[in-house]
Amino acid sequence: MNLNDMRTYAQDDVVDVVVVGTGAGGAPLLARLAEHGLRVVALEAGPNFDPDNFTNDEVEAPRINWISERLSGGDAPIAFGPNNSGWGIGGGTLHWGAFTPRPDIRDLHLLTESGVGADWPVDHAELTRYIVDVERFIGVSGPTPYPWDPERQYLEPPVDRNAPADIMAIGCARLGIQASDAPAAILSRDRDQPHHGRRLASQNLGTIHQGERYGTKATTAITYLPSAVATGAEIRPDSMVHGIERDALGRISAVVYRQNGQERRQRCATLVLAGGGIETPRLLLNTGLANSSGLVGRNFLAHGAVQVWGRFDEQIRGYRGYPSALISEDFVRPDGVDFVGGYLLQSLGVMPLAYATSLVRGTGLWGNELIDALDAWRYTAGIGINGECLPAENNKLVLADEVDEWGIPRAVITFTAGPNEQAINEHATATMTRILEAAGARETRVLARTAHTLGTCRMSADPDNGVVDADGRSHDIPNLWISDNSTFPSALSANPGLTQMALSLRTADRMMR
Amino acid sequence: MTNHHCTIFFLPGLGFGSASAVPLAAALGDRFRVVGIDLPGHGPAPDAVNGSVAALADAALKTIEAEADGGPWLLAAHSMGGKVAALVAARVLSGHETVFGLAGAVFLAPSPPTPEPMDDDKRALMLSGVENGPLSEVDAREFVAQNVATSLVAAAEQDAVAQVRQMSPLAWQRWLSEGSRENVSAAVGVIDLPVVVMAGEDDDDLGASVQPRLLGAVYPRARFVSLPATGHLLHYERAREVAAEIARFWESTASASPQVNSEWGRVIASNRTGVEARALLVRRAIADDVNYTPRALSPGQLATLRALADRLVPQSQSQSQSQLETQARRIDLAARIDADLASGRGDGWRPSELPDDASAYRLGLDAIASVWPDGVALQDALIRRIIGGGFITGAPWGGDLFRRWFEDVRNDLTRTWLAHPASLARIGYDGFATSGPGAEPAGYVSLGAGVRDPWEPADLGTLASDHANQADESDESDESDDPGTTTNTGQAGKQSAA
Repeated sequence: MNLNDMRTYAQDDVVDVVVVGTGAGGAPLLARLAEHGLRVVALEAGPNFDPDNFTNDEVEAPRINWISERLSGGDAPIAFGPNNSGWGIGGGTLHWGAFTPRPDIRDLHLLTESGVGADWPVDHAELTRYIVDVERFIGVSGPTPYPWDPERQYLEPPVDRNAPADIMAIGCARLGIQASDAPAAILSRDRDQPHHGRRLASQNLGTIHQGERYGTKATTAITYLPSAVATGAEIRPDSMVHGIERDALGRISAVVYRQNGQERRQRCATLVLAGGGIETPRLLLNTGLANSSGLVGRNFLAHGAVQVWGRFDEQIRGYRGYPSALISEDFVRPDGVDFVGGYLLQSLGVMPLAYATSLVRGTGLWGNELIDALDAWRYTAGIGINGECLPAENNKLVLADEVDEWGIPRAVITFTAGPNEQAINEHATATMTRILEAAGARETRVLARTAHTLGTCRMSADPDNGVVDADGRSHDIPNLWISDNSTFPSALSANPGLTQMALSLRTADRMMR
Repeated sequence: MTNHHCTIFFLPGLGFGSASAVPLAAALGDRFRVVGIDLPGHGPAPDAVNGSVAALADAALKTIEAEADGGPWLLAAHSMGGKVAALVAARVLSGHETVFGLAGAVFLAPSPPTPEPMDDDKRALMLSGVENGPLSEVDAREFVAQNVATSLVAAAEQDAVAQVRQMSPLAWQRWLSEGSRENVSAAVGVIDLPVVVMAGEDDDDLGASVQPRLLGAVYPRARFVSLPATGHLLHYERAREVAAEIARFWESTASASPQVNSEWGRVIASNRTGVEARALLVRRAIADDVNYTPRALSPGQLATLRALADRLVPQSQSQSQSQLETQARRIDLAARIDADLASGRGDGWRPSELPDDASAYRLGLDAIASVWPDGVALQDALIRRIIGGGFITGAPWGGDLFRRWFEDVRNDLTRTWLAHPASLARIGYDGFATSGPGAEPAGYVSLGAGVRDPWEPADLGTLASDHANQADESDESDESDDPGTTTNTGQAGKQSAA
């Protein structure tokens, strides 16, 4: 994005707010604070990309992903990198799938409803008001009326369905399952984005996870961040924060970071951490701050994201078009089940190397069988889920003895799916298999997967039960806030991006109270 | 359509036109389609806009882009053409040119990217020959005679002299005073490509003895061939030997990578494909270095990885192979992974109990080498045991962790294989041809099962007609709401029949 004419601040200038991270957590807040006249600086670990430098080549595309290694343990080691971790101005929104269901009110009250999991100390109606704000600002397309929420309106019509969406629609219709065009932060009409410029309507590219260069997919780098800069925010790329300084009273006074090999220090009155579910707890554990609850790094959550792929007679070639053009919310609370929470269904098309990795890691296939399965890829249509994940004490992030290229201890993330996650996976697998078979699949294949990095600094009303309060403010340090998906108390069945942007605006408003 | 296996674009030396490719073409036979190029000021071609090597390269690329058929091709270049070809190769490898299929380069007594070694007196003498217009018959004959070890047969000599006389005096002057003295090394860089350099032992300035020093660093994979009793005009003096060497080079080296069929090659070449994506595919299509020296692994570990690759990601099934030569076309997956390991490129995570990727590979491969049996049945049994998490004698990690490391190996091998353009074509992926400057729209119009857009390779489906497109846009929701009117195959059938 264009940072040429932005306002800049001196390092010894005590700016009002420093925000660490420019993705879905940092950017909306940065824009809102700047809009209200606060003097704000954002520090982004990764570079400032020119969208022309995004590539649709899957080997090279991870330049927009956090590639500095995370260490994964547990029974279901989390695959990081391109799967869930952003890099550069725009953070995770550079690679996100832009699938934007709204959070279901039942998911915010999971503990009250079921006796397990966690409640969100956030009012659903208030959150929804912020969500509508985000949807309009970034450009979310979707069907009106929306089958599971008759009052909802999308200002733009949905994007085109691709072959996997057609397949899922057919299968669902035959089974009496409601399915619909999906809400997505993909423009179906050209628009002029304030302080950014022209954004083009969808051209049915399937390579959105590799970076999108036409402004069709909303990223913070073409929405909130240009607005933030236009109202006086400074954004510093290539700036990896590794230290936090405090004054005699224990309040945050500055952040220490490395930029282009130089140690730098920015003084600030307030600090907002928005580095996401891995980097925020890593920084807090490394600095030893804000952890009186002992919950920094605990309760790591990853959505269940199991996929089922069906083989059809025709060439599906689901790499064409928006990859997740169809949704079903029929299973947010399925009947007659022995698990809590639920899941969303989405149709799936996938890029070839991503599919190959899922095949290799998700099955034991090798040799000629593997090649045969890759040859069959063009005939396959998929369905996947985003499934609830309950907080569990043993799913956690801790620091390794090994340090990274900045000298910071690496994160070790341990994750094991619990009985509830396994039950959701099994139910969803059976549902998706039925849909694909109803649509005429000759054979189906299940590929295990998880998605997103949540929960490691969760919000709570009770200071003993979380790291930040319902507004995102640290229970321990009054001028320290967190605005990223590490604050999610439970995973929700909705994909987190849209909710995160709404929470970010909400936290900004709470900061200015 | 001819049945050639490979196109050869021939860039002649100073004074010579496309006709100088004729003796070579005759000696090479039908397997090779030889396209001689008239560089500016040579043959009937008008002079270039200026005297730079780049201007000559521009012209050569124009012909190559116009004549390339999407299939594999070699650059062949003589003398001055060699310097031009170096720039051409660099530009093609950069992805900026709308061509695909460069498989190697053959140089005959090439002029190097650095200023050409030439005696000042000789340069002055040569320049004086065109002070009053085109070279005289006598001077042209003298020029040819000085550049051969033994006289050419009369017909060949007459042909050569005629070409030299046809050259524009300006082109001659420019090359001698500008092009030959230009240093294009920075623009050329290092060309990682199968290369053979042939030169005569009786060539004064660009002979066999000086070529390794002039070009060794530019073409690290170059093989240098010296031809005894040969001067500077190799392709006239030794057409049969040169042709035999080119054929050998093609068979043994340049054609060793899986072939991308020409229809797919044309899509990669087209300006629907972005520059970077094209550069990546152009480079991945090039045959691996048979003399690859591992940088992260030991030679023994590389050999073990190659043996594993043969079992885990077999390349014997290659669909494009049967119609071509019998020689196995394969990707050296192990070498490509070694290069990745040496570059430190990772995928963002690793199992927490494993060391860094390169160390894990070394330890894991050593353990496998110590128990690697003879015979594929036993090898496959070992692979099944590892994937099943079984105990492996001497393994550095317990069964499950060894399985996880092996999963990384399987993943790396599979992705490396799949990233090759022949593999992408084989599995039916043309998404690289989106987002290029000529892609309008950048993505797809036809999204339904069984149909394709007009620019896509024909094996990807039938063309969606206007009617089918309309059905795509307006009837979809009706179809999905009313399954009784449509079946899966019926829907696709409707689109393809329309």
